[in-house]
Amino acid sequence: MEIKKSAFLLALFITISLFLTLLLISDFLGGRREDNLNARFNEVYRDFDDLQQIMLMSDVYGNEMACIAYKNKLSDFDKRIWDLGLKLEQYRTATEEFRQSLYYLEQKKIFNENEFTYLALLKQIKKLCSNNQTIISFFYRNSKDCKKCDDQSFVLSDIKKRFGNDVAIFSYDLDLNITSLELLRKFYSVDEVPCVIIDERKFCGMQSHEFIVNQVCQGNNLLAC
Amino acid sequence: MNQNYTIFTYVVWFIATYYVVLFLVILFSDKKKIMERKKPYRNYSPFVSIIIPAYNEEESIIETIDSLKKLDYPNIEFIIVNDGSKDRTSEIVRAAIAEDKKFILIDNTTNKGKAKSLNEGIAAAKGEFIATIDADSVVEPAVIRKVLPYFSNKVGAVTITVDLKSIKTLLDKIIELEFAIGLSLFMKILSTFNSVFVTPGPFSIYRASVLRKIGGFDPNSITEDLEIAYRIHKAGHKIDNCFNAKVKTQSPPNLKAMYVQRRRWYTGALLTVIQHRNMLFNPKYGFFGFIVPYTFLLIISGLGLFLMTIYLLFSNLISLAQFLQYVNNSTIQRILEVRFDILTISGINIVGIMALFTSISLIVIGLFFTGKSIWKRKMGVFAFPLLFFLYQFYWMRAILAVISGRTTKWR
Repeated sequence: MEIKKSAFLLALFITISLFLTLLLISDFLGGRREDNLNARFNEVYRDFDDLQQIMLMSDVYGNEMACIAYKNKLSDFDKRIWDLGLKLEQYRTATEEFRQSLYYLEQKKIFNENEFTYLALLKQIKKLCSNNQTIISFFYRNSKDCKKCDDQSFVLSDIKKRFGNDVAIFSYDLDLNITSLELLRKFYSVDEVPCVIIDERKFCGMQSHEFIVNQVCQGNNLLAC
Repeated sequence: MNQNYTIFTYVVWFIATYYVVLFLVILFSDKKKIMERKKPYRNYSPFVSIIIPAYNEEESIIETIDSLKKLDYPNIEFIIVNDGSKDRTSEIVRAAIAEDKKFILIDNTTNKGKAKSLNEGIAAAKGEFIATIDADSVVEPAVIRKVLPYFSNKVGAVTITVDLKSIKTLLDKIIELEFAIGLSLFMKILSTFNSVFVTPGPFSIYRASVLRKIGGFDPNSITEDLEIAYRIHKAGHKIDNCFNAKVKTQSPPNLKAMYVQRRRWYTGALLTVIQHRNMLFNPKYGFFGFIVPYTFLLIISGLGLFLMTIYLLFSNLISLAQFLQYVNNSTIQRILEVRFDILTISGINIVGIMALFTSISLIVIGLFFTGKSIWKRKMGVFAFPLLFFLYQFYWMRAILAVISGRTTKWR
């Protein structure tokens, strides 16, 4: 029995179709990932608007009223922005199998800029409402240039899990060359990475889990300490 | 994610998928013709010789002899070649064949190897067709009647479906499926474009003139049943497959025995390809000259992908272990904290899912065509993917054996 050439062509056509289906599913999931992130970004923007409104409220209704509103808002917002950061990284890993996606690079920049704004707001709230939330700023670069940055990031993720809303962590990728981050880097004189600023105290180089826990617990009567 | 790894995964997936799809297209495009059963001859019964090489087969040879005695074929002789067995094989065979004149025993006192034993059998055989059967295998009574009509003009050998004698362990259940796909369905499809690359040892039948023309089995080969198939093609003959005739053979009793068996099979396969490298990409040998290198490309690239995956998996595990040094959390707690999000499924994950789906489809199709129920083989289907891991290990071992020159012996 002779095999027709058409069998080889049909098999090739089916295989290519399966391959294209695979790419289409990947593309579809990529689109859904972007939609999901955009929706999360929109929630964060709405939260920013709310926070700014509350800030205006303090002039009209006084600090006490504004601080009650802040307390209600902050725990949700803090969780939302932290989860957004995690999702951004997870989805980027799933999407960027072949090459870097401009979407994720752009979103990461926007996320870092938002974090910068959130940091400024949080500091103001802390001053205004005597909030005892610990603020940690984490400066890092990609793992090729900074071998310990991933380790430090892992430790900080664990710190966040342990302390929840009692700790706000902001991660800044210095490779993104964002003007506001450059200002922040210069403000804290960060010359090496990884570097963590815990409530205005600077610790550069890899910091252990125990050390950071001690720093957070210093002077704070927290349940997780 | 390592970008080279991603690209390589897609390439291997494409090579493997094309291979499977091509086979299925051929099967389904002419299913009736491929699965057509040729009617046994009514008035034609050429003389057939069956050679049974035996080395230390005291436990199984009686069953083989019994199945041969039940063969529903008049013009036949059985040549048992005892290859210097150290156990009671000779004694048992003598008692079993007694005065039956159809049986001839060549009782060698020294062990010469399977190929030499087969060649001794060929030299003594009087048949127009010569079949070989392993001393741990059994055949159905109608096997000879079923296979003879497949010997058309150019056909030099005919293979049949290989199954297991008994299925007791999980390993048996996996091997049963492997045989249903690899040694049954794929052999049938390969035969449609004259590309059968092995005449399995458990049972195969040859045209005596072809066997003599090519000089019998190669005593230097550790997989003589594979090597002879290449020479049959080289001599310009075809190898056909009779799908509805069945031989049942013994499966390796455990993983260690399976390792020994597969190390020999795969090392032999590599050595045979090297030995007959002039056949590769040679249009003179038709599709056979292309399917063999394509199969090896798939095996080697699959092994490369497996090694890369293992490397990445281990480096990730090492990184995780390093990370965990910094925190007091237990690993299990961390695993339990991971929440599934369908959107984190990447292209590589989809390739994996598709590969799994293809494997399951193949099993279902293999079982369907061999007339086996899938519901009775749920455990085997579930455990079948494990075989792919074992394959990688066996192929790696075979490649190392060929490179180091430390190949195994076959008695």
